[in-house]
Amino acid sequence: MEFKEVVGRRRSIRYFQSWRNVEREKIQIMLEAARLASCAVNATFLKAIVMIRDNIPRETLDALKTPVSALTIELAPVHIYTYVDMGAYKGAQARLKKLVDVGALNATHGWSHKFVDDFVWPNILKPLAEGSNLPSVAASAASDAGIAICQAMLAGVDEGLGVCLTAFQHDAINKLVKAPKDWLPLWVLLVGYPAESWEAGGQRPRPPLEEIFFEGEYGKPFKGDPKVTERMKAAKMIQAQAPLPWRKEEIKALARMFGLPE
Amino acid sequence: MASINKPLEEYDSVKTWYQGLREQSGIEPNEDKSRLALLAEFCATLELDPDEIVAACLLRKEGKETKISIKGRRSMAERITDFQAQGGAEGRERAKRGNAVRSFLIHNGIQLQSGIQI
Repeated sequence: MEFKEVVGRRRSIRYFQSWRNVEREKIQIMLEAARLASCAVNATFLKAIVMIRDNIPRETLDALKTPVSALTIELAPVHIYTYVDMGAYKGAQARLKKLVDVGALNATHGWSHKFVDDFVWPNILKPLAEGSNLPSVAASAASDAGIAICQAMLAGVDEGLGVCLTAFQHDAINKLVKAPKDWLPLWVLLVGYPAESWEAGGQRPRPPLEEIFFEGEYGKPFKGDPKVTERMKAAKMIQAQAPLPWRKEEIKALARMFGLPE
Repeated sequence: MASINKPLEEYDSVKTWYQGLREQSGIEPNEDKSRLALLAEFCATLELDPDEIVAACLLRKEGKETKISIKGRRSMAERITDFQAQGGAEGRERAKRGNAVRSFLIHNGIQLQSGIQI
């Protein structure tokens, strides 16, 4: 699938074929996509633990559900528990120097081993590594983790899977997966084959571009070019917005199939 | 404990339910009266009217936003499970009993989930 179409097709899928396993290779592709994501100081802030739902003890599965995520957690055959590793700043000094060695950070931009050793590490990264409980540090680390999660989601969609990022009760799963203490839990990425149509009722309503992006200064909208919008429609990045006319009937059918309230 | 002294459709919570079914779920409640009959049976079991059933799931404190009572909702969910179990031998029929009441509560803002009942 072309990239723009992948972006356009992604939805939060909330009905999965609970009985259908996901091929391990597809999960590997998702994880690889996350690993290759952009990250500050070449630190892989995202850490994740893949769990096959049916291998999670019933008691744990019930305990990790939140009121709004319970059903989706139950339906998804694969759960990827995501964490931001607040210890990822450690080792950044060596990683940055490696980026100098491989030609990613160059003298053209002022980079050198000495700059890393004498300035970047002691003045910027070491304090971050030591003060990783500061909200700003956690926010930037979580941002990087989010980018990686997004790539995993898009890779999943490209593989024909449905994905949904949702909340979970951290303590319940941590007892099972034994995540290190400096890993802060983020979301569980639910994966499976959609039981609903891939359109899932249509693209979700979002505010127009001009309301959320600005040019030059806040309040001056970034104005989209209608010709570009048409190009994105042709590339299936912008698709029919929800609700598609048959969505309510689809939900009724899904409710009947899974025995859910309407 | 109130007795039900008017048609169920006249209770505010039932009106809200019907409106939700029509507007959000695309269902015309009058086409299948069994939903209402099941709610009536549930009300009789609990000896509460529909508005009281909703109120039992809420925490209302003067000057504060109304919240869903975790304890109240959990207790109601258990009562629904019991009510569902009293249904016929067929699983789908039993699920329908519980889901009618769940739907009533959901459209009245009491978020709850039943889990898969295949």
